[in-house]
Amino acid sequence: MKTTFKKVLCLVLTLALMVPVLAACKSDELEVPSFSDSTIKIGLTGPLTGGTAVYGTAVYNSAKLAVSEINEAGGLDGIMFSLEMIDDQHKPELVANSYATLLEKGMQISLGTVTTAPGLEFKELSYEDNVFFLTPSATGDAIPEYANGFQMCFADSNQGTASAVYFNENYQGKKVGAFYKSDDEYSTGILAKFEESLDDSFGSIVKASFKGEESDFNQQVQALKDCDIIFMPIYYTPASQFMTAGKSVIKANAVYFGCDGLDGVDAIDGFDINSVPQEVSYLSHFNSNATTGAAADFIKKYNETFDSEKEPLNQFGAAAYDCVYAIFEALKAAKAEGKNIDGSTSASEMCEILKAQFTGNFEYHGITGKPEADGKSSISWTENGFVNKEAVKYIVKEAN
Amino acid sequence: MDFLITLVNGLSLGGIYAMIALGYTMVYGIAKMLNFAHGDIIMVGGYAILVFLSVNPILAIVFSVLFCIGLGIAVEKAAYKPLRGASPLAVLITAIGVSYFLQSLAQIIFGASPKYVIIADLGSLVIGEVSISYGTIITLACSIVIMIALTLFVKLTKTGRAMIAVSEDKDAARLMGVNIDHIIMITFAIGSALASLAGLFSLLRVPTIMPTYGALPGIKAFTAAVIGGIGSIPGAMLGGILLGVVECVCNSIPTVAPYTMAIEFAILIVILLVKPTGILGKKRREKV
Repeated sequence: MKTTFKKVLCLVLTLALMVPVLAACKSDELEVPSFSDSTIKIGLTGPLTGGTAVYGTAVYNSAKLAVSEINEAGGLDGIMFSLEMIDDQHKPELVANSYATLLEKGMQISLGTVTTAPGLEFKELSYEDNVFFLTPSATGDAIPEYANGFQMCFADSNQGTASAVYFNENYQGKKVGAFYKSDDEYSTGILAKFEESLDDSFGSIVKASFKGEESDFNQQVQALKDCDIIFMPIYYTPASQFMTAGKSVIKANAVYFGCDGLDGVDAIDGFDINSVPQEVSYLSHFNSNATTGAAADFIKKYNETFDSEKEPLNQFGAAAYDCVYAIFEALKAAKAEGKNIDGSTSASEMCEILKAQFTGNFEYHGITGKPEADGKSSISWTENGFVNKEAVKYIVKEAN
Repeated sequence: MDFLITLVNGLSLGGIYAMIALGYTMVYGIAKMLNFAHGDIIMVGGYAILVFLSVNPILAIVFSVLFCIGLGIAVEKAAYKPLRGASPLAVLITAIGVSYFLQSLAQIIFGASPKYVIIADLGSLVIGEVSISYGTIITLACSIVIMIALTLFVKLTKTGRAMIAVSEDKDAARLMGVNIDHIIMITFAIGSALASLAGLFSLLRVPTIMPTYGALPGIKAFTAAVIGGIGSIPGAMLGGILLGVVECVCNSIPTVAPYTMAIEFAILIVILLVKPTGILGKKRREKV
């Protein structure tokens, strides 16, 4: 009896150990070169495990896709690109180590961090070493504080202000509520700017909040049950949980109005957005349901290359794809001006070259922002490192 | 009326915390260890429901409970039993290891993104202006029944009394012919069954599941168990319900809401300062 149990246990444990191996085979369909002397080395950190892993994974996949496309097309005049990402689990305390590791391995250019909290640590470290970074999705206002930092996403204040402007124009006389995450820089940052720019005629807004990985919002929906418009500067998972809890509690003709974090709310496995009676919309820079233009091509390629069930695409990924291409285009432009760029250029030299491009007349045409006639959007950067592109209000679902 | 809704919500949430806290407290009382992997059993229970949901919801619930019982026993046999008699620190670290193992395994199998598990769309009870979901009401009702049943089980059955005996004095119980290993196994089985039910009721309130899903309720329930007096069954129930009500009342006041968690843990500190063994914890005289 006892030996049989041990044998079975051994078998089960062996099988359990094999699961990661099998799973790894599946998700690594796309291989990009890792750091070597002859390549231009791009590094970043982001959450690949833990509660926010879904963002880091989308960023990693999309950046890999861009790098492999660029390499297939011949790289930068024959010089290939390499990419490495280290898991920071969305924890600021892990960033210093990850950053040092990347730098030691020869990172020349960075995509910074995926999320804001670790990014605030990252910007200090990269400033000391003068390493250029263009973050796809760390939206904090303080992220591009120093000259070496740039953002592909809208900064929080931009989103808060843009949303307030939209409210002032369209929702006068309505009762406004807000549901936010009180321990999150992204959420509180946007809300603060939103309240600042909102007309006084709205009076005081009703607020409910949550923290950490809380998901039970049956109490919070009660606090907002009289509101006409609910502003939700949060990510889509808690938003979907809030909307589920609020199905019959929140007014049926109310509007849920989010920011770019709400992108992907209609693609959550098993969550039927049409079961929510209220309107759901958000202000964003990427339409993950695009059917035309460059964005649609990218979505198609992503879904063909990766397992979109387990590693779904979101606007974080789209921004990362744009980041890699923007860096590539900027390097190309610099090379055309006679700059010497290869795998041995130091990170600091690289930083000066890219800074000059991004703060100069450089304009990049990408997949995030409002598409123009050619299907691509026009993107440029301010001297402070903030992005210039047009936001789109996107209605995920009309009211029933 | 609003306060009544808050109270019902709080009692229902508290019922879930109490169910999880019972697992912590029973394992602590009997095996004298903190099973930090307990919260993750809730998560496993949720995923187990997800797997069989398309076949039949009732079958899925039964499967989930059985699977969690099996898992609880397997974890005890594989990870904790070899460490019986080892230092408490080694057992604690092992429990944390098991917790990470379960979370990582779930992430590998199901992915990191949350999954919706809609067992049944129960709708809401509407009374005039206010409405409250049936999920909340069912949770409240079931948790009361479960707690009464557990109390009766411990008080009236032979196994239940053996459990009390082991928690009071392990060596004396052994001398009286109680099979300690057997009792510990049953404790883990009951704890895991309660955790899987807690997972079920959480899904009725919030129909989503993710690999780190069990962490927060686990910590809250552990807090509840300590507030009530770890090792005490009525203490775990009291602590769980207290914590659930405090959470909902705090969340219903907008200015206080951002500090809800701080308040919950502050209560723990205050209670430990006033009564170090928890509200219903027994004071043990140490023999020197």
